[in-house]
Amino acid sequence: MANAQVYEVFGRKDHSEALKHVGSVNAADDDLAKAYAWTMYDEESWVEMCVVPRSAFISITHDGALPLWGN
Amino acid sequence: MTQTAKQYDSTEGMSEACANGLRNLLTACADTKLMLGYHYGEWTFGPPELEAAIAGCSLCQTELGHVRLLHGLLKRHYGADPVQLIEGREPAEFASISYLDRDLEDWAELVAANYVVDLALTRLLHSLKGSSFTPLRMSLEKMLDEERYHIHHGQGWFRMLCGKNEDCRRAAEAAMNRAIASVTEWFGPANEPEDEALVAAGVKSRTNPEVFEDLLADIEQLVGPLGVRIEVAQVGQTDGWNPATRRARTGGPSEHMLYHLRGSKNAVFKLKQ
Repeated sequence: MANAQVYEVFGRKDHSEALKHVGSVNAADDDLAKAYAWTMYDEESWVEMCVVPRSAFISITHDGALPLWGN
Repeated sequence: MTQTAKQYDSTEGMSEACANGLRNLLTACADTKLMLGYHYGEWTFGPPELEAAIAGCSLCQTELGHVRLLHGLLKRHYGADPVQLIEGREPAEFASISYLDRDLEDWAELVAANYVVDLALTRLLHSLKGSSFTPLRMSLEKMLDEERYHIHHGQGWFRMLCGKNEDCRRAAEAAMNRAIASVTEWFGPANEPEDEALVAAGVKSRTNPEVFEDLLADIEQLVGPLGVRIEVAQVGQTDGWNPATRRARTGGPSEHMLYHLRGSKNAVFKLKQ
C-alpha cells in the first residue's frame, strides 16, 4: 500500500480569479486526494480545484522548508 | 435516445408500464440513496483516518440531498408524500439494494458499499442522461457532478485495501462480491416489461442488464490488475422478482436503521406537517 502523502489543494471561485492555495489533505493516492479535497473544502462553489503532491513541488526559495501553519 | 424522441414534462402520455416503471425507478433510487446516506453518516465515526471521516460526512450529505430531490419528483408527478415515503412504509416495501439492509460490520464493507452500490446507482443515473422525462433530466447534472467524488473515494479506498495486506485484500474482495450479488438482484431480470417500456419511451437509454454490464466493466477495470476476482451472479435468475421492491425475496432495511432514519426517538419534537 502506498503511504499517505500530503497533497496541496488549490482552487478558484471565479474564472477571473487567480488560482489560490486553500489547504492540504493527507491521502494515499490521487483518487483519495481528489475525494478528500472536494469533501473537505466544499464551503465554496469552486469553478476549478486541483491537488498537487507536495513532493512534486520544486522549491525556489527555502528549499525543503515546510509551511509554518501545518503538516 | 434520439433527439427527436417524444419529450415528457409529466407522466401524461406515457404508457401505463412506463409511468409505473418510472415511479418504481425513482423510488428505488431514492430508497437506495437514503440507505447509503445512513451508512455514510454512521461511518463519519470509526473510519481509519480523519480525512475519510470528513468524506463520509460529505457523502452522506449529498446522498440525502439527492433523496430530497427524487422525493420532490415523486411528489410532483405521482402525488407521493415524502414524509410517508420515509416514515409510513413497512421495511418490506422499501426498494433499496439489499446489501445496505443491515449495519456494515467493518470498513471493507463500507468501501464495497461506496465502490459497488454507489457506483451502480451512478451508472443507472448515467443511463438517464438525455432522458425524455424532462424533470428528471434537469436534475441529473448536479447529481452526477457530485457522484464523481463518491467514485474517487470508493476507488481510492478499494485500491488501498487491496494493497495493504492479504487479509485486507480478502475482506475487500468478499465484501465487493456480496455487494455485486445484491446489485444483480436489484437490477432485475432481462426483458423486464417496465424497464423495456422506459427504454422504448426514451426515459432511459440502456436496459438494466446493460447498465449492470457497464458496472461490471468499470469494476473489472480497477480490480482485475489488483488480483481480485469478481464472482458474477447471472442476470435473469431472479424468479419472483417484484418491480416495486426490486427484490426476488421478501426483505428490507432493519427496524434499527429505520428507527434512526425516521427520527423515531425524537418523534415528540416533530413539527406538524
